[in-house]
Amino acid sequence: MTDRELETLKMAELGRLSAGIVHEINTPVGSILSNNHVVERSLVLLRKRLEELSRTAEVPPKVMQLVDTLQSLAGVDKIACERILAMVRSVKTFARADEEARQADINALLDETLQLALPTFRTRIEVERAYGELPPVGCYPNLVNQVFLNIVTNAAQAIEGEGRITLRTCRDGDSVEVAVTDTGHGIRPEDRLKIFERGFTTKPVGEGTGLGLAFSKDIVETRHGGSLRFESEPGAGTTFIVRLPVEQSKKRPGE
Amino acid sequence: MASSGQPVVLIVDDEEMVITSLRAYLQLETEFDIHGFTLPEEAARYVETHPVDVVVTDYLMPRMNGLELLARSKGLQPEAARVLLTGHADKQSAIKAINEVGLYQYLEKPWDNAQLLLIVESAIERTRLLRDLREKISQLDVAHGSLKDVQARLLKAFL
Repeated sequence: MTDRELETLKMAELGRLSAGIVHEINTPVGSILSNNHVVERSLVLLRKRLEELSRTAEVPPKVMQLVDTLQSLAGVDKIACERILAMVRSVKTFARADEEARQADINALLDETLQLALPTFRTRIEVERAYGELPPVGCYPNLVNQVFLNIVTNAAQAIEGEGRITLRTCRDGDSVEVAVTDTGHGIRPEDRLKIFERGFTTKPVGEGTGLGLAFSKDIVETRHGGSLRFESEPGAGTTFIVRLPVEQSKKRPGE
Repeated sequence: MASSGQPVVLIVDDEEMVITSLRAYLQLETEFDIHGFTLPEEAARYVETHPVDVVVTDYLMPRMNGLELLARSKGLQPEAARVLLTGHADKQSAIKAINEVGLYQYLEKPWDNAQLLLIVESAIERTRLLRDLREKISQLDVAHGSLKDVQARLLKAFL
């Protein structure tokens, strides 16, 4: 089995697993969300009743305070649920296998990727987003997501301790450009020619397969007719730049 | 079956929590008569003996799936609207459902309460209109029958 076949198999298996997890999460989250809505509505009604009551009788201040507390907690629960849902939606996009090309919002895809990747480095790395206005891009969204995930994960791993990752997007003629800049250790000059080679990695065993960037380049260039390149300064950081054509030409090389 | 009285809504899901949540919401917002079942077989038995306006059911359940239940319901009370509420979001099962059991709506979990309420309300209205229509048609049939009868007697008397 070739590396590529193995990786495809792994992704497909991961996709099936995630689809199962998403399915299992949807029911309880649906329930919580619905209950949260009912609690919020009921608290509004309760407050109204209490206010009516307070015109003719004395309502202990503690009671109103309790309603306040419950309302603010319900608000927090709602935000928490929405975060779980956003996470589930991201996993859903990633899990969708054998997808057809469609028009996608590249900024939204980047956000989905961040949603997934962020929990692993939220506490030590600050993320800055500078998104430009982009036209819909004809692409394979789940493949593009994999590229973004790979680049963002690499960026986070390149930063030892605290740092910053900046995501910039812009339109440039018939293409859109996504630049991911990290404040990490940079790429050594002697490694620059090799980083897109299969099996090349500077990461410890278990952390990198040495396949991520090779596949990312393949996805961007062969599948989408775009380009993937980088600029790096040792000790100062690296920027990876993904260029994707807005319109997919009818015939892609490699198909 | 009479269209009077409070609308009857069946909620079927093998997860008790879904029934509890939907019941709490619908009870807060409406006066519907809500019946929850964790066993689809029990829901099917209920449909055999009671008029129902809407059946909202999960898809994947042990022993009997949501589509089988809706097919049974369609056979017993064709006017009762059928709604599938599923966490198993796949296009194939949706298409199958729409084609096989004449689904009124296909909803995915996690659901939006307001959307669900809108669907259940319009489903009830549709069910009641269909029942009224059937009643009117049978009244017409009766009227038609008695007209025929009168015509036959006229013919007999004068020709």
